[in-house]
Amino acid sequence: MAIRVAVIGNPNVGKTLIFNNLTGGKAHVGNWPGKTVEKKEGKCVHKGVEMKIIDLPGTYSLTANSIDELVARNYIVEEKPDVVIDIVDSSNLERNLYLTLQLLELEANIVIALNKFDIARDLGYEIDVNELSKLLGIPVVPTVATTKEGMEELRDAVLKAAREKRKKRKIEVSYGKKFDELILKIQRAIENDEELSKKYPTRWLAIKVLEADEEVLKIIDRSPCKHEIVNQLLEMKG
Amino acid sequence: MSKKIREILGEDAEVAFAERRYAVISEILPKVLKGAKPLTRSDMLDKALLNKYLGIPIFLALWWALFRFTFDVSTPFSDLIDMFFSWLGETTSGAIANEQIASFLSDGIFGGLGGVLVFLPPIFFLFLGLAILEDSGYLARAAFVADRIMYKLGLHGKSFIPMLIGFGCNIPGIMATRTIDREEDRILTILVNPLMSCSARLPVYILVSGAVLGGYAAAGVYSMYILGIALAVLMALLFRRVIPYFKGKPSPFILELPMYAKPTLRNTLIHMWERGVLFLKKAGTIIFLGIIVVWLLSSYPWNAVHVEDKFLLENSYLAMFGKTIEPIFRPLGFNWMGAVALFFGFIAKEIVVGTFATLFGLQAEGPEEVIPALKSSGIFTPLTGLAFMAFTLIYLPCIATIGVIYRETNSWKWTLFTVIYELILAYVVAMAIVWIGGLLGYA
Repeated sequence: MAIRVAVIGNPNVGKTLIFNNLTGGKAHVGNWPGKTVEKKEGKCVHKGVEMKIIDLPGTYSLTANSIDELVARNYIVEEKPDVVIDIVDSSNLERNLYLTLQLLELEANIVIALNKFDIARDLGYEIDVNELSKLLGIPVVPTVATTKEGMEELRDAVLKAAREKRKKRKIEVSYGKKFDELILKIQRAIENDEELSKKYPTRWLAIKVLEADEEVLKIIDRSPCKHEIVNQLLEMKG
Repeated sequence: MSKKIREILGEDAEVAFAERRYAVISEILPKVLKGAKPLTRSDMLDKALLNKYLGIPIFLALWWALFRFTFDVSTPFSDLIDMFFSWLGETTSGAIANEQIASFLSDGIFGGLGGVLVFLPPIFFLFLGLAILEDSGYLARAAFVADRIMYKLGLHGKSFIPMLIGFGCNIPGIMATRTIDREEDRILTILVNPLMSCSARLPVYILVSGAVLGGYAAAGVYSMYILGIALAVLMALLFRRVIPYFKGKPSPFILELPMYAKPTLRNTLIHMWERGVLFLKKAGTIIFLGIIVVWLLSSYPWNAVHVEDKFLLENSYLAMFGKTIEPIFRPLGFNWMGAVALFFGFIAKEIVVGTFATLFGLQAEGPEEVIPALKSSGIFTPLTGLAFMAFTLIYLPCIATIGVIYRETNSWKWTLFTVIYELILAYVVAMAIVWIGGLLGYA
């Protein structure tokens, strides 16, 4: 069976170029169902394994505030691609890693492509790729999309990640003691709803509840765990 | 549910969470990243161009330079095109015996179309200047500079890019609102977008201000663009306050600033061509048709209009129609010619110019240079000319824009609302110009 790979990243990180490099430029272009957002799909065969590659909209974060962000995150949450390639602009790590952290919370099986590696070097940056990979607990591959450098390595990493499936991540953002406890309590409440916890990462749902994310709250509203969550919140408030 | 949670937690949770994520990132970064980013030339330019106090004046100055450039550089090219069409008209009218066909070709087609096509150079140069600003990376900065003010005024920062695009043409401007997340912000931006002075209005400004404002012609054109921006902001503010649907604060906005780059000749020319060629296409289709209609209406009934050797425009269908609607425009100081020009201008604003060109061409027995003809006709005083330009800026966007407004809002209610508020606003502003100008002692 083909591996399903989603490509995501901030706008202007070279996502389209990497997508074209991976697929050889042959893409099926359509729209996401019912949305005016473009959907591109392509294929690639690496070491005898077929990969189906889906280009997700470029976004800075994964809130419910824009169609692009919703499309991207719904795909990852609901379709559960085998691997998500997170393309990161090496010359602007701080901003780009924000999306990476959110992808980690979504429990996606991430491979980071550290793109524009040449530009970062020209700007005087030295990035410790191994250390970054170790700290985040996910594979990191330096790439230069314009010259197709690192594409073989990226394909290898994707293949390997798909085989190993999801491992426990190193990093879990701590939101401070008060919120962490609350997140855990809400998470427990959500876990009582078996259907929900099978479909979605529960910690992510809990965080989004606290962020008052409209779409997630719609989901919670339909679940019996709703009352328990409200109770927890009221209790915290004292 | 979401209301309840907000009540319990307040608005801060989301912000606190975002801060924590950035804190985690800043813990990671020093461990993996060495070598500080030197201050690039891009950063230094940004320090000046994005400066809190200098940003806006620099933007206005660059905009002014853009219009001076458009105005000054294009004049000789326009004169050449004008000479060509005059020659073409005179040659055909001399060579064809049938006077109806001769008039149709010389006054209708060559006169009217020539009158519009002389504005090809300014439009191309405007787009050339815009392309340079865009390709150099400045246009994105302009959006950033403006966002600070727009957000304070309760407008969405993302509205600014569709607005800037609106300077070229309102249609892509309105379509570009799709990037705005909240539907309310998006519709508000669509409603005020037609106030951005598109390139189709430029010929009208150049014609009228060239004819009546003398040395202040370029300033007159520039003032229309500023007026458009000011009105758009005012209207947006007003709608946000008054119409319950728009109540609420706009969502925050992230804008990525590309690095400054030297625009390449090739890309700049391609950009200019892609946009400018739309004007040519329009000239060949809808403007062409509009001009034929104006010629027909102004040349018939043939025997009443052409008495012996005289041309009596006053007897034409067009004059009859124009005089019927003239009373509406009389308080603004426009005569029936201005009235019909505006009437046909709603098909496409270039037709305002085409109408004048055809009318003067007919009266002068052959195509004439439109600007001097308008000047000597005495239709406009500097004051009513300015009012006419403002009216052209504000009233009904062209028919194609109305179509796009309907398609993008998917609502007849908003479409109709746009049409009506703009008609009223145009009238009020034009009236205010005439009235205030009168009070200040200008005729």
